[in-house]
Amino acid sequence: MKRPRGLLISSLAVIAVLAAACGTTSSSGGTPSKGGTLVIDNESGTLWACGFNPLNPNDASFAFGPVYEQLVYVNLLSGKQTPMLASSYKWSSDNKTLTFTIRSGVKWSDGQPFTADDVLYTFNLIKSNSALDLQSVWSVLSGVSKQGSDQVVMTFQSPSAPSFYYIAGQQPIVPQHIWSQIKDPVSENDAVPIGTGPFLVAQGGCTPQNIAYTRNPHYWQPGLPYLDKVNYPAFTDNDPANQYLATGQAQWGGQFIPNIDTYWVNKDKANRHYWFPPIQNVNLFMNLTVKPLDNKLVRQALAFGIDRGKVSKIGEYGYQPAGNQTGVVTPTFNDWYDSNQAAKYNYKFDPAKAQSLLQQAGLTKGSDGIFKDSSGKRLSFTVISISGYTDWTASLQVVADNLKQAGVEVKEQDFSHDDYFNKLFTGDFQLGYGSLSTSPGPNPFYELRNTLYSQTTAPLGQTASGDYGRFNDATTDKLIEQFTATTDSAEQHKIMKQIEGIVLEQVPVIPVTESVSWYQYDTKVFAGWPTKDDPYAAPAPWNIPDWEQVMLRVHKK
Amino acid sequence: MRYLIRRLEFFVVTLWAAVTLNFILPRLLPGGPEVALRTRFHGRINPATVKSLEVALGIHSDQNLLQQYVSYLGNMLRGDFGVSLGFYPQRVSYVIMLALPWTLGLVGTATVIAFVLGTLIGIFGAWRRGGVLDSLLPPVFVVISAFPYFWVGLLTILIFAVTLGWFPQAFGSSSEVTSEFSWPYISDVVYHSILPAFTIVLTSIGGWILTMRNNMITTLAEDYIKMARAKGLSTSRIMFQYAARNAILPNLVGFAMSLGFVISGALLVEIVFNYPGLGTFLLQAVNNEDFSLMQALFFLITFAVLLAVLAADVLTAWLDPRTRERA
Repeated sequence: MKRPRGLLISSLAVIAVLAAACGTTSSSGGTPSKGGTLVIDNESGTLWACGFNPLNPNDASFAFGPVYEQLVYVNLLSGKQTPMLASSYKWSSDNKTLTFTIRSGVKWSDGQPFTADDVLYTFNLIKSNSALDLQSVWSVLSGVSKQGSDQVVMTFQSPSAPSFYYIAGQQPIVPQHIWSQIKDPVSENDAVPIGTGPFLVAQGGCTPQNIAYTRNPHYWQPGLPYLDKVNYPAFTDNDPANQYLATGQAQWGGQFIPNIDTYWVNKDKANRHYWFPPIQNVNLFMNLTVKPLDNKLVRQALAFGIDRGKVSKIGEYGYQPAGNQTGVVTPTFNDWYDSNQAAKYNYKFDPAKAQSLLQQAGLTKGSDGIFKDSSGKRLSFTVISISGYTDWTASLQVVADNLKQAGVEVKEQDFSHDDYFNKLFTGDFQLGYGSLSTSPGPNPFYELRNTLYSQTTAPLGQTASGDYGRFNDATTDKLIEQFTATTDSAEQHKIMKQIEGIVLEQVPVIPVTESVSWYQYDTKVFAGWPTKDDPYAAPAPWNIPDWEQVMLRVHKK
Repeated sequence: MRYLIRRLEFFVVTLWAAVTLNFILPRLLPGGPEVALRTRFHGRINPATVKSLEVALGIHSDQNLLQQYVSYLGNMLRGDFGVSLGFYPQRVSYVIMLALPWTLGLVGTATVIAFVLGTLIGIFGAWRRGGVLDSLLPPVFVVISAFPYFWVGLLTILIFAVTLGWFPQAFGSSSEVTSEFSWPYISDVVYHSILPAFTIVLTSIGGWILTMRNNMITTLAEDYIKMARAKGLSTSRIMFQYAARNAILPNLVGFAMSLGFVISGALLVEIVFNYPGLGTFLLQAVNNEDFSLMQALFFLITFAVLLAVLAADVLTAWLDPRTRERA
């Protein structure tokens, strides 16, 4: 009964994954009509606890976006920026100071004016309560101050351009006049949240089974939102959620649906559509402290020994596309992808090539078809996975079959979610299948930094926030730091290509498939949805805070 | 009376043992709240934050096991279950209260209905052994009770909710009705509960019928029944006062146990009908390593089962004079 959806669970937990889109409508012809109740269909596995504290990791995914807003919306798929609570921003020439001009005319949903003081208050609040600093912004910031009446200046410990995404795009702003009265903001429940967003949750609007988001009459974007109400029912299992969607009771899905065409689309072909944009790699992590995985040739052999297309087709029903060895998620980040270098290495499934690489690495093939090192130890690894993620298990069976042809034995071992991540973090694994636990970002840098940067790792036995494989390469570190220090897009692209070259050559990690944003939409009643041709936001209802943009733009036909 | 005191002693000792086990077991699991916290923050958490969260969650990792045990016993006595890790910052008692009324309402009612109905069918079936009722109902229900629950549930949804559209297919109430003590809300809740309750009764009634019928048949062969007939007592008097009163005794403890287990929810019902309830929370607590919620739920289940068994003992003592005399 367990649904095969690795991505969703991790993404939900990740809370503030993404960014949101712009305010003006782009749909054709006239002003969309107002009104209507949109129903979200997303299996979260739990009943609602009805807390909306946007600074709490459990609650933020229900509050951040429609209720509490950020300074700038950054589209997770394209990196495109839309000013929200900040009307503009400016980097200093040394990229160490970031100045936001705070939007005027914005009101909190209780009618009080929103000011630069609220922004200042929020950042100071998460500084003094580190448990609320979900994006660890104070690991890069050194100070926040107000300048004039409407500017907020952030100073950085060192240049950190990619942190813009966390500071401007991922930090919900809370009202000072409410939160300064709260005794313990860490354990604040915030049952009736006061935010600047297009929707609010009224007293009694949330029950364990449903959250009703209703229109905020004070919303600052004129004429928005179009919708009167958005219902977010709580689904504890995938099957009822899929059925609810199939019977047309919900219009906006974030679901994994096996055989989606027959089960869902064909029941109303004209109106039911889906789009699954990839956002993050599902990798085979290798622990580089385990011999012979410290040998680049062995890692390259593994990369040649996996048929990614087949894994995608069999393990993921073809819904999650195959990954590629540059580490750049395509087609989402196509403009960062270096096709020339990728073609040069050409990591396609080639067991013969894999075997010759293993021989080059000094290993010999045993009588059972599995390679051995000089001491006679077989090339056999256990790969850790999360129990209940049936799609990963199916994928790993393909991987094991493939690698057996290359002369490598792989056995799967399942753990609970927490134990699995603890093993990854502390380096207590040989091979690991899965995605980074940190959120992906609006360009490939965010994922690759956390996959490769040795500053994010830790000695064996200690908790690493990234680089689970304990890859340690000075050139890579330097490139990552250079990328961090620049805001020039051309320069960033140049550096990214060098990083891709390293991933191709060193194979610190093997991207196998790409996890996607599961998204179904029903155009029978509502229009204005994000689509492949108009990707104005990451489309799943669990893409936080991108979902606010969808809730702003969707309207009755 | 001595009998009752003995049962009470047993109750207290078992409860203490269960509560102690409940303290030890989660601590034997791999991981622990600190590990769970770190994974919750994806490793991007500094030790100071872990510390401050632990304080907020009421985890005292600096206390030794004995100190923790003593404060744990105190908390359990006061009914203070602490803060839930998975639903932080909500308290465990709040989380449980989200689901408890639904579970008690649905599973409790359905269990009572199944028991009463099953017992009655068993009594009448045995009374007219080989009659129409006896040759039809028990076999049918026993066969149905062997079906997997989720299959029966999905089938009823398909027929009565999707195809016929008579009943809603999911949820405990409609999102358009405000939850207040009013007729529209209550009728809405009842309306939503009919299908899940129907399937619970359908799948659990077979067991009650079978055991009651068999007990009844044995009892009907007893000499005192013959004697009652010889005395010319009325049929209903013999059936209920003489036969059923004795035949039901072995079933009472079983019923009490199942009442106690009501509190653990009905996981499959909750999954199939997307019905709110404690079963889902229990599963989630285990998956999330939400120790405080797990402990509270296990405590409640143990307590409810023990209490129900105690109640059954009292009831047995009242129904069956022999237990009183023997003691």
